Amino acid sequence: MWATNLKIVGVVLGTLALYTLIANEIPQVQSEVPQTLTLGANVTPEQLVAAGEKVFNGIGGCTTCHGLGTRAPNLLTDEKGTGQIGVRCGKREPGKSCKQYLFESLDNPTAYVVPGYQPIMPVMTKQLSPEQVWAVIAFLESQGGTVDVTASDIPATSTTSSTSTTGGGGGGGGLAGGSTDPKAIIQAAGCLACHKLDGQGQVIAPDLTHVGARRSAESIRKKILDPASSIAKGYEKLAGIMPKTFGAMLNAAQLEALAQYLAAHK
Amino acid sequence: MADGALLLLQAAADSTRAYGDFPVIGARAFVWITAEVHLMFAAFVLGVPMFAVVTEAIGIFGGDERYDRLSKEFTRLLLVAYSATAIWGAMLVFGLSTLYPRFWAYLTAIFAPSMWVYAALFFVESFTLYLYYYGWDRWKKGRAKLGHWTLGILLNVWGTVVMFIANSWLTYMMSPPRDITPTTDPTTIKLWHAIANATWMPINVHRVIANVVFGGAIVGAYASYRFLAAKSDEERAHYDWMGYVGNFIAMSALIVLPFAGYWLGREIYQYDQSMGITMMGGFMSWLWVIQAFLIAVLFLTGNYYLWIGMGRIPGAERFRPYTKWLLIILVLGAIVWGTPHTMIADSKELAAMGGSHHPLLGALGVMSAKNTAVNLMILTTFLSFLLYRRANTRPVVPWARTGTIIQGAMFAIAAGIVLFYGIRGYFVEAIVRIGFSVYQVLAVLACIVCVTVIDILMARGAQSLGAIRWGKMPPRSQYALFILAVTFTWLMGLMGFARSGIRQYWHVWQVMQDTSKYAATPALGYASKMISLCVLIFLCLVAFVFWIGGLAEKSTFVASGAGNEAAGKGARHVGH
Repeated sequence: MWATNLKIVGVVLGTLALYTLIANEIPQVQSEVPQTLTLGANVTPEQLVAAGEKVFNGIGGCTTCHGLGTRAPNLLTDEKGTGQIGVRCGKREPGKSCKQYLFESLDNPTAYVVPGYQPIMPVMTKQLSPEQVWAVIAFLESQGGTVDVTASDIPATSTTSSTSTTGGGGGGGGLAGGSTDPKAIIQAAGCLACHKLDGQGQVIAPDLTHVGARRSAESIRKKILDPASSIAKGYEKLAGIMPKTFGAMLNAAQLEALAQYLAAHK
Repeated sequence: MADGALLLLQAAADSTRAYGDFPVIGARAFVWITAEVHLMFAAFVLGVPMFAVVTEAIGIFGGDERYDRLSKEFTRLLLVAYSATAIWGAMLVFGLSTLYPRFWAYLTAIFAPSMWVYAALFFVESFTLYLYYYGWDRWKKGRAKLGHWTLGILLNVWGTVVMFIANSWLTYMMSPPRDITPTTDPTTIKLWHAIANATWMPINVHRVIANVVFGGAIVGAYASYRFLAAKSDEERAHYDWMGYVGNFIAMSALIVLPFAGYWLGREIYQYDQSMGITMMGGFMSWLWVIQAFLIAVLFLTGNYYLWIGMGRIPGAERFRPYTKWLLIILVLGAIVWGTPHTMIADSKELAAMGGSHHPLLGALGVMSAKNTAVNLMILTTFLSFLLYRRANTRPVVPWARTGTIIQGAMFAIAAGIVLFYGIRGYFVEAIVRIGFSVYQVLAVLACIVCVTVIDILMARGAQSLGAIRWGKMPPRSQYALFILAVTFTWLMGLMGFARSGIRQYWHVWQVMQDTSKYAATPALGYASKMISLCVLIFLCLVAFVFWIGGLAEKSTFVASGAGNEAAGKGARHVGH
């Protein structure tokens, strides 16, 4: 019986060893934790491109669909005779510069689906930090085009990120260094990338100039913490676009200051 | 949320110790091992009662006491296995509460009432088991026996509800309702809202079926061990039959498991596309190649066991020439299914390959080809069962020839539909192509159901070509059952890693981030070592359970002059 037992042990261990061996022979890819990318005020285009390439090939997961394949438009070489992404990005949407188009297509991908492809791309501004997003834009511009992303773009138009390794769980010191100045918060949170306020910003999402006439401070606070809780009339199709991570990025004092500031906009 | 509550939450988040660590292996490895081994035992103690209650019913309503004794033999093993499940469960809870205290506090804030229900049901389940086992010989006849069988059914009901409750916790981590944000106070989340999340029911269904598969495979391994250790032909015949029953149940349930998996995958995509893409095309894409390899092993080994088994069936030699063709289809199907499609690769690797898909193999790696391959493999395995089932009989009903022709036509039509939609899938949009897989699955299921019904009707009064020679199996057939059990268990670990790993660095997807030093999701190499370790721990403990079960009481096998015949008769209820 000992011989039989040994054979059984051999079969079990052999089977386990085979599966383990095969799993170790294939390419090993670990899912990294997004790290906060710190780019100084004097960051050069080359540094941005290098950082962007790393994000593109790594945690961005861009190559999954955008490599040279057919699941999504080719971003590294020519796409059906239209040139590389750095060449064609400025021609995709009339009146939009290359970096403007690239940012918006990362922030709201379903609005810019290239004909022949499916709307499968996630909102990358939810996945990556503003620094990472702009680094990727710089990298994409470098693919046949001119890199015009600068450090000033990053705080000016970034929308959001929850990818800091210290985030989550409701903690954190808050955006804009914890400042309770509503304008600083609005700028740091990138609200104007979608909303218009006092003549500034975009009109993708509801104009906030008179938001106080429509919503109370409590309603605004709730909307920031839980964007899906109420959708403004006429913007139903954009439901889900607003990141739900502002609650994690603002501290309580900032949230209160922002809600009161906006509520005062009658 | 009130301002005060928000401030309190933030203060707690900032000041509470978020993570602990475990000596030598680290916190993540400790929780991984305890969760995995607990889950394997849980699957064992949920799968085997299903097996036990069905075999007891066959014993009651079929009048064959052998099934009753078989059922009792497995229930005896459950007693020890329950203790092991509880011990590993307790270790998991201690691990979570001491190593991940903040996360554990978050979960308990939402799910505390369900945790109390869980604990209460576990008590009820345990006492039902004690009554079921210790009342076996007392409630043996008439109405009392039916009452005893009802206890077995209740045991399954409690176990399933317990599993559903635990599933709600882990599926909440994967797919919290969309209105829940990082700042949502967990105490304000309605319990049912959290339980009924997007992936809860697909996981429930998937796990119920998978537990049947797992229970059957473990039963098969147990029987094969007893077969190899048997000292008489009669004992060997008994355990040969038991191994066959276990394998039959495992393979039958395996056939429908991919459909439940498909539903789960679809729900994941619908809940969050980026999660779906991470799973199928992101860093986990290679995992599916490994999964395909494991499934190929299961199909090939399961069929191999059946083909060897035909050697003990008089009349089976008629079908032996077909097995090589079945083997060819299975191997080709496995190769297509295992063909990589979208691999995560950097720009240099993509450029070297000439695209994200291999120029030659890329066409085989798409879902059209894979769905076609797996459906043809399922049809082939079903055909193997059908040949096995008919091996020692010759139908005598007047329409036998017509019936066989109709069965053949059904196979041809199902295969034709599968191939047609497989090829057509290359010429349509992805969204249309995804819908084709439903037609392929329906064609295969319809074929299985209709052919089985015809076969049952055709077998009425069939002429026997001789009794099955139970026990006349070469030892290699029993090692095949061991490979099946190990592979099922390993596959369970792998799929657990896939399900849990797609959350990546989130404890609760996009709600609570993992900020520990173990937040990164490891590569498959590391995961495979952990899985193998867990499988080894589980199998060693199961072997111990079997051994201790044997010490407590001798096998329920009872030698009788009619051993082979009785076993042969019994097998008719499941496969024959």
